[in-house]
Amino acid sequence: MAKGLGASDQMLGRVVRVTDAAAPAGPSRRQLIAGGGVLAAAAVALGAGPARPQDIGIADHTRHLGTSVDEYPYGVPSPHEAQVIRRSVPWLTATRESSINFTPLHELEGIVTPSGVCFERHHAGAPDIGPAEHRLMIHGLVERPLVLTMAELRRFPPVTRFYFLECAANSGMEWRGAQLNGVQFTHGMIHCVQYAGVPLRTLLEECGVKPAGKWLLAEGADAAAMTRSLPIEKALDDCLVAYTMNGERLRREQGYPLRLVVPGWEGNVWVKWLRRLEIGDQPWYQREETSKYTDLMPDGRARQFSWLMEPKSVIVNPSPQAPLTARGANVLRGFAWTGNGLVKRVDVSLDGGINWTPARLEGPLLPKCLTQFYHDFVWNGEPMLLQSRVIDETGYVQPTYQQLIDIRGVNSVYHNHAIQTWLVNEAGGAENVRVS
Amino acid sequence: MFGFLDRSLRFAAVAALSLGTGGTAAAAGDVEAGGKVFRACAACHAMEPGKHRLGPSLAGVIGRAAGTAEAFRYSKAMEESGVVWTEDALALYLTKPSAFIKGNRMAFPGLRKPDDIADVIAWIKANGGGAAAPPAAAGAAPVPTVAPARAAVAASAPAGGGRYGLGRPAKPEEIALWDIDVRPDGLGLPPGHGTATEGEALWGERCAACHGDFGEAFGRYPALIGGEGTLAREFPEKTIGSYWPYASTVFDYVHRAMPYGDAQSLTADETYALTAFLLASNNLIDQDFVLDAKSLPQLKMPNADGFYIHDTPDFPPYEPCMKDCKKSVEITGRARIIDVTPEGEDNAVSVE
Ligand code: HEC
Ligand code: HEC
Repeated sequence: MAKGLGASDQMLGRVVRVTDAAAPAGPSRRQLIAGGGVLAAAAVALGAGPARPQDIGIADHTRHLGTSVDEYPYGVPSPHEAQVIRRSVPWLTATRESSINFTPLHELEGIVTPSGVCFERHHAGAPDIGPAEHRLMIHGLVERPLVLTMAELRRFPPVTRFYFLECAANSGMEWRGAQLNGVQFTHGMIHCVQYAGVPLRTLLEECGVKPAGKWLLAEGADAAAMTRSLPIEKALDDCLVAYTMNGERLRREQGYPLRLVVPGWEGNVWVKWLRRLEIGDQPWYQREETSKYTDLMPDGRARQFSWLMEPKSVIVNPSPQAPLTARGANVLRGFAWTGNGLVKRVDVSLDGGINWTPARLEGPLLPKCLTQFYHDFVWNGEPMLLQSRVIDETGYVQPTYQQLIDIRGVNSVYHNHAIQTWLVNEAGGAENVRVS
Repeated sequence: MFGFLDRSLRFAAVAALSLGTGGTAAAAGDVEAGGKVFRACAACHAMEPGKHRLGPSLAGVIGRAAGTAEAFRYSKAMEESGVVWTEDALALYLTKPSAFIKGNRMAFPGLRKPDDIADVIAWIKANGGGAAAPPAAAGAAPVPTVAPARAAVAASAPAGGGRYGLGRPAKPEEIALWDIDVRPDGLGLPPGHGTATEGEALWGERCAACHGDFGEAFGRYPALIGGEGTLAREFPEKTIGSYWPYASTVFDYVHRAMPYGDAQSLTADETYALTAFLLASNNLIDQDFVLDAKSLPQLKMPNADGFYIHDTPDFPPYEPCMKDCKKSVEITGRARIIDVTPEGEDNAVSVE
């Protein structure tokens, strides 16, 4: 391998220079990256085969007719993008219905996660609920307990908002050390979409919350009847009862026809298939806020009601599923987010945290939303240790693993927001590592 | 589960309920005469709430959805009928039970005289069978029991009374159907009781396949027993006995979500018995401790004080170092060595 690499070094450098100048002689960098995987990289790196004689020509698709309209009444991604899918870790859970899969972050760009690849987490499978039969009931400490149909919900004044949703267990497998080789698996329990729906506040005002009403219980209509308690302040602040994501009705696996949106807070409280809201004077201490979603600390006690998703960032490109394919000019891509509001700055390091440079934040910059960052750099073929760290509008700096573990130990499962490190080797491949 | 027709029938019936059930034709019966007719029913039905014989208690039956008396095992046909017991629906049912809800289990041929039917309904209504709450939209016109779907839409138009006037009032019996949550102070616990001894057979039948004979669990199913004293260890075991702060959560969750794939099928007594079984398996109560709405909230779980709220950031704001922040960097761990990443054509590229 070392020998091959040596021989390929120049080759690699040459191809990149040529294509970067937009010269017509080689595969474009775009093609190289789209070709993805090691194969394309290796082929170029090892100089396999003669340089392609012709990639500029008159292709068949330029001469003959393409597909008609309505071939796909509901469009699908290009067949060349078939690798852009959610993936799961089968050994993680006992059954496929109470399970999880992961968003392919390394394939995405910008703040919108396409609906079809938003990660899934169900506790008893995703039910199929007809909107005509769905009802939202609001009761408890209210003046007017109500039953609302979907049609009625759509008659309240709606708002549209972008928000990220991150599972509290995102990166939960990484506490004890680097485990999974792929940003999809280490960080893919997150998505960011645009919602349309009714402010929860509007609905609560319609019912008239009594002064004693301090807590809200949200419940799903699935076979887990998922429930969580939320403080009334949050319910009256920025929560939504949403029926739309990314311009169309919610996907079934995201709670069709109705879900709760709880901006900046852990995904488990964003109850899907929302059927009931109860107002009470104290929390209910449901299974998901006692047995689960509590954070065990080194002293054996556990933090409870730790809803906030703390500032976090990760480089998605390069990463183990997205190796570097060429020397020379390159772009480092990543996402940052914070439940506190706005991302203020993201720093990146190519040397494992010795030196840092502010990355370029690309808009839109919205509160409680994914923020795209870029760092343009030249790769000379040397190994790198890539890291990113976010600083949010409150001044909170994303911690290193050492900082976080010093306080929280390794058994909290939830709320791991430490700095991630990728080792990029001479061949451009990336690996999940832990550094000092 | 429901066919389309069943579904529209169910919701039409709920909508009908929302308009109140007062003043239908069938209601003009003679209470006293009805008492005599009821003797034919009394072998199987009592009027006291929660008291079931061969048939369910008829307490509060008028106005509530069919097949929903707590702790009674109905036929699937009754449970899924979508019928709401308006007086009209009752009259139709009592005329020929087997025809009105196909496959229901009430072994009673029906009452032939319309007067008997009107009378027995009047008697049921006068003896605890009426709806618990007054009709919400007083003065609304009576609608047929099985309203066409279009009527169901129109029926939901009456204002809920808020600023936008949307929605309709939630009826107490509808709330009772869905409001199954139980709090640590016992609020929400239904009548009923059970012991671990009673729960044992049921556990074997309905829970052990996944959670093991004692709650120790198979494979990756959650273990429900053991783990005492492990919470501060290197590998803590979080179970009901070692971790859960409240017994109410066991009752709530088992009834709400278990058995996995057949949720909310357990009666109140069964849920008490299984909760008792799980608590006894964790050595928290005796085999014959009677768990009910009074005793359950008084149990103190071993880890009840093990939780706290921490709502300040672990790291106060600071300006992080940008240059020469440490002397050197060492790789201390590598995912490749652990090698648990799922295989796929193009993920988890392993490289030297
Ligand atoms: C031989 C026993 C028996 C007799 C007699 C009987 N019933 Fe029933 N009844 C049942 C059973 C069993 C059910 C539950 C049926 C099912 O689940 O399929 C039932 C169900 C009902 C229901 C539905 C209750 C609910 O909760 O949904 C009503 C109403 C009812 N009976 C009324 C009557 C009346 C009124 C009479 C007398 C005129 C009567 N029954 C006579 C056994 C009986
Ligand atoms: C078919 C397998 C299966 C059966 C049968 C089953 N369970 Fe479960 N149980 C599960 C799964 C899976 C979970 C985790 C669900 C989730 O991920 O939300 C679970 C979770 C639980 C939990 C919560 C565990 C925790 O640590 O939070 C309790 C308590 C429980 N089950 C009790 C019961 C009882 C009581 C029964 C019998 C009435 C039962 N289960 C039957 C599969 C099963």
